[in-house]
Amino acid sequence: MIITRKALSRRTVLRGIGATVALPLLDGMIPALTALGQTPARPVKRFGVVYVPNGVVIDRWTPATAGTGFEFSPILKPLEPYRQQLLVLTGLTQNVDGLTAQSGAVHGRCATKFLTGAIPRPFGQEGSDFLADISIDQLVARELGRQTQLGSLELSLESGDKGAGTCDGGYSCTYSHTIAWRGPRTPLPMEHNPRVVFERMFGDGGSTDPSARRERMQRNASLLDSVREKVTDLRLGLGPSDARKLSEYLDAVRDIERRIQRAEEQVDRELPAYDQPAGVPGTFAEHARLMFDLQVLAYQSDLTRVITFMVGREFSSRTYPEVGAPGGHHPLSHEDSAASREQLSRINIHHAEQFAYYLQRLDATPDGDGSLLDHLILYYGAGMAEGDHQPWNLPIVIAGGGAGQVTGDRHLRFGSDSTATRSLKGGTPLANLHLSVLEKLGIRMGAIHDSTGRLDI
Amino acid sequence: MGSMARAVAICLAVLIGGSGVLLTRDARLHAQTATTTPHSLSTAFASDETAARTLLDEYCVTCHNQRLLTGGLALDTLEVSNVGEAAEQWEKVVQKLRGDMMPPPGRPRPVRQAYDGFRAWLEAELDRAAEGTLEPGRVPTHRLNRAEYTNAIRDLLRLDIDGQALLPADDTGHGFDNLAGTLAVSPVLMERYLSAAQRISRLAVGDETIGPGFTSRTYVVPMNMTQNDRMSEDLPFGSRGGIAVHHRFPLDGEYILRIRLKRSVYEYIVNLDEAHELEVRIDGQRVAQFRVGGEAPGKPAPVSFSGTFVAAGDAGFPSQAWDDYRTGADAQLVVRVPARAGTRLVTASFRDRSWEQEGVRQPPLREYGATVTETTDTSPRSEGPGLESLAIDGPYAVTGPGTTPSRDRIFLCGPTDTADQLACAKSILSAVTRRAYRRPVTDVDIASLLPFYESGYAASGFDGGIQSALERILIDPEFLFRIERDRASGTAGGAYAVSDLELASRLSFFLWSSIPDDELLDIATRGLLSDVEVLEQQVRRMLGDARSRSLVDNFASQWLSLRRVAGITPDPNLFPDFDENLREAFRQETELFMESQLAEDASVVELLDADYTFVNERLARHYGMSGVVGNRFRRVRFEDDRRGGLLGHGSILAVTSYGNRTSPVLRAKWVLETVLGTPPPPPPPDIPPLPGPGPADEPRTVRERLAQHRQSSVCAACHAPMDPLGFALENFDAIGRWRTTDETIPVDASATLADGTTRFDGPAELRDVLRARAPQFVETVTEKLLTYALGRGLEHYDRPVVRGIARAAAANDYRWSSLLLEVVKSPPFRMRRPES
Repeated sequence: MIITRKALSRRTVLRGIGATVALPLLDGMIPALTALGQTPARPVKRFGVVYVPNGVVIDRWTPATAGTGFEFSPILKPLEPYRQQLLVLTGLTQNVDGLTAQSGAVHGRCATKFLTGAIPRPFGQEGSDFLADISIDQLVARELGRQTQLGSLELSLESGDKGAGTCDGGYSCTYSHTIAWRGPRTPLPMEHNPRVVFERMFGDGGSTDPSARRERMQRNASLLDSVREKVTDLRLGLGPSDARKLSEYLDAVRDIERRIQRAEEQVDRELPAYDQPAGVPGTFAEHARLMFDLQVLAYQSDLTRVITFMVGREFSSRTYPEVGAPGGHHPLSHEDSAASREQLSRINIHHAEQFAYYLQRLDATPDGDGSLLDHLILYYGAGMAEGDHQPWNLPIVIAGGGAGQVTGDRHLRFGSDSTATRSLKGGTPLANLHLSVLEKLGIRMGAIHDSTGRLDI
Repeated sequence: MGSMARAVAICLAVLIGGSGVLLTRDARLHAQTATTTPHSLSTAFASDETAARTLLDEYCVTCHNQRLLTGGLALDTLEVSNVGEAAEQWEKVVQKLRGDMMPPPGRPRPVRQAYDGFRAWLEAELDRAAEGTLEPGRVPTHRLNRAEYTNAIRDLLRLDIDGQALLPADDTGHGFDNLAGTLAVSPVLMERYLSAAQRISRLAVGDETIGPGFTSRTYVVPMNMTQNDRMSEDLPFGSRGGIAVHHRFPLDGEYILRIRLKRSVYEYIVNLDEAHELEVRIDGQRVAQFRVGGEAPGKPAPVSFSGTFVAAGDAGFPSQAWDDYRTGADAQLVVRVPARAGTRLVTASFRDRSWEQEGVRQPPLREYGATVTETTDTSPRSEGPGLESLAIDGPYAVTGPGTTPSRDRIFLCGPTDTADQLACAKSILSAVTRRAYRRPVTDVDIASLLPFYESGYAASGFDGGIQSALERILIDPEFLFRIERDRASGTAGGAYAVSDLELASRLSFFLWSSIPDDELLDIATRGLLSDVEVLEQQVRRMLGDARSRSLVDNFASQWLSLRRVAGITPDPNLFPDFDENLREAFRQETELFMESQLAEDASVVELLDADYTFVNERLARHYGMSGVVGNRFRRVRFEDDRRGGLLGHGSILAVTSYGNRTSPVLRAKWVLETVLGTPPPPPPPDIPPLPGPGPADEPRTVRERLAQHRQSSVCAACHAPMDPLGFALENFDAIGRWRTTDETIPVDASATLADGTTRFDGPAELRDVLRARAPQFVETVTEKLLTYALGRGLEHYDRPVVRGIARAAAANDYRWSSLLLEVVKSPPFRMRRPES
């Protein structure tokens, strides 16, 4: 590994983030600005997802032993300091029959099913170029988002631009670029530019001055009011498919109106001083850490309680020469050699290291009577196992204490033989885990697509 | 096994293996095919229903029958006497035959003549059946995508914006990002529209309250950009390195320009041992000159510096003063200068004092793959100092909105010209609204804008009023969406011609990716555009306009996968020569080539084998061409037959490769999708992995590794026919350089077509093979153009239209203008089906 001054220099960190950053914030000394009504007895619930593309080298991911005090595997090793807040789940599956019935588009379909439970449709069916279902992060956002300005945030480390063209044959690129769905026909775009994320959180005024923000909000409210009236007129006489697009527009308008209303109520609340980031940092690690910083900031200032984050878009062919993995991520995952598995492992470990940084920041940020990490429920994992991209034996970790509802330091195995499940097609649906997690977040659902019941976690 | 059971087994095997069968190299299979070539159809196809039935019974119904329904197709009961009744199914058959995909390898086939004859007959029957019906399809309400929005702002307000910074990326479908069904609307997008509308309207009118930060921007030179030469035509002669940007200065005022120099991996500014001169220019006028370097005090860092820096005070070195200089000497490269509002060319560059060293020229050293221990002082690449970024901050000391094209465009009148300010405001807003909504303006439109004008006026005067109303226009659904309304029709199926105004928008978004201009709107408003002659005249006029460059930027760049050049990441250890300059050159070559083909109205077939291209010195060196000096691109004719047409372009060869090797599979897939219009079926799940390269003592080429992959029968069904198309391009490495060996093994670029008759070797012979399929290529281009033009995926009922367009264009040697015209004149482009 190349040890550079970059790893040591404060300077670099600051430059990556923007002009200046309030140092206390970076050090995690400011307690989270949680909503009214939070008491130690009733901590605020939060939910996050961190998704990694292309699966992992599963035998280097899966811990050798199960239960409490399990042995950390090479890939999960960077997470070991947070053992007490980690629950490793192996052997879960996505409904295999449904996914394999049609060939192709493994990436997009596994990724889309990951949080929606639905098997996405190919082009042109039912009058739309895509069709899936609402994802669980959005189900959670419907509830937890009532209190906050932003229902949820959807972030990524890869721009949708780079994959322009075709993705998986016969399927929209949307399925690989996002895992968050507001509804069956409303995929949510993932933002990769930290500057834009910052603007989304704190507005585009380049200022956190309350009076300027209030003026801007009032202006937007009257603009939205006016277009809302117009859309109502425009929709008259339009057929259902034409009207649908305008309804999406109208929904979006109403959503922002709600946000403005919420923000106006909270406009005098003090926000942490934080300068706008300049743009996308040059290296993967800098970019990842900056995006994790922003996520901590979003939870800390209670702008949102739900964040979905993709470390790379599904099907990503990003290269990681900085950790000795110059082959593209996706092509490497299809090569059967010791050298390629070694490179892949390095990528997986590199991702886990960035995630460990996130856990460290969450752990260091006080929230109520504990830390953000104590109260959060955070998924880390993928919608497929590894190189041959089977949607079973999925790599899944839950981090965070879920406000006392999740017990860490455990490795739970599902399925009959989860150490060698390459050909195991039965097993416990991932959707079962979703049901249990939703319940812990206060949302009771009867079923999600292929779920067969709740999971005892 | 009974014969039925055997048939089932064979059909299932084929089904499981996929159905993408175009070519095969397997001699054994050919032999089998040859011996089983049967009796009844050993020669030509008789082109009638009886012959069709016989052929189907003989070759197809073993699998495709009522009982097995392989691929959902029962050809034993489909009526050949009236193919129009099951057009959707028959079009599937045509599609398989076009790609030579059926029958699968190993099953008997008719001889070539009969095979092609049957397809031609079937197509003719389908086209004849379609003549009686009219099915133009239906495009639902269409949101402007990011490129269209950016262009619309340019044409509406004479304002160049950075759409990528303002709006999120659009998703793609069927290869394009302008499909109505894919362009969704989310709250995030709506927020960005709001934010963009505010920024754009303030910039356009020159809002004097714009402060520093509003348009502040840091322009970064990509890390891996070599800055040894003059970087672009925008930079002064005699300059070296640096950057040229078109920056929008929002107001007349003062701006701070700040230069940051390139750092090494240790954060030390590279090459500061000698003094260098830098200059900054705005619109060619020099506004600042600097001298930096050669003044480092104290003790330098050792060459073996490993990054474990110990600050001054330690007996070791470097000394603090030296460290400070090497990390901060560029802090003085700041200038505050007056600039006038508008988009101006800002350049920052070094004075070129480079020289050629005597003696043997050393190869350039690699960049980020290099070890760090010897690179404290200079960049590992042999070059002088470079620019890392140019930051422009301001305005300060604002003197006014200035004179900008935007203000000229917007303010047709001013508050001082007339006693009646409101009348002036109304006429300004009418003009903008007409262009923005692409239709004549009504009183209701203006009335809905006036409250915004008035509140803006109250806050900051006349300009503020206009700004506020503009902001409202820019988030209006009639600006952001293309809404078409159902109309009554005279035809049986209810299909109707879209209105002239709707047609004008369809036309301008197709040819310009933007809103109609005044002339087009005028003609449409007068109801003249539906006249075919007028329509044709407008198409020709629009193709002659610079805005038609969008056909390169948006159509060709997506159809050819050119946009993916931005994302390629060749392994720096294997391709140390690859730098940002080359990436940029790849993109430019193909764009310039496409532009010339369109501008010269060449035959589209020339894309496959044109004997010229565009190169600059960097690209010429890469291609092994001599005599090309400097950064400017110029047209050159090839002197040998290695390259020709698109398949010799570095861009396309690189986007169809992996970071560390070529991929004959991806290249073949590109040819199948882009040239032949017969994309292979997607790979099944649970793919066995490709074997890695062997141990060091027995190197294996990709070709050999794929051969092993094909030994699995599941893989072979698709790869055996596909891979050969890619093998013919093995003479080009993963970044498009010519090669004759792959890891010391001579390149084998030979391949054979499925019918066993055509062997070809290398790119030149592949071009001949593709050229021989010119009509199929033209149909593919037509299919892509029509998809892009309509903004929807094509359906079976569009197939006769595609064939019709290609046939009509044949009379004009398949020239671009004839294809584009036929697309515009086709029913799906001019008509619409009502919502059922």
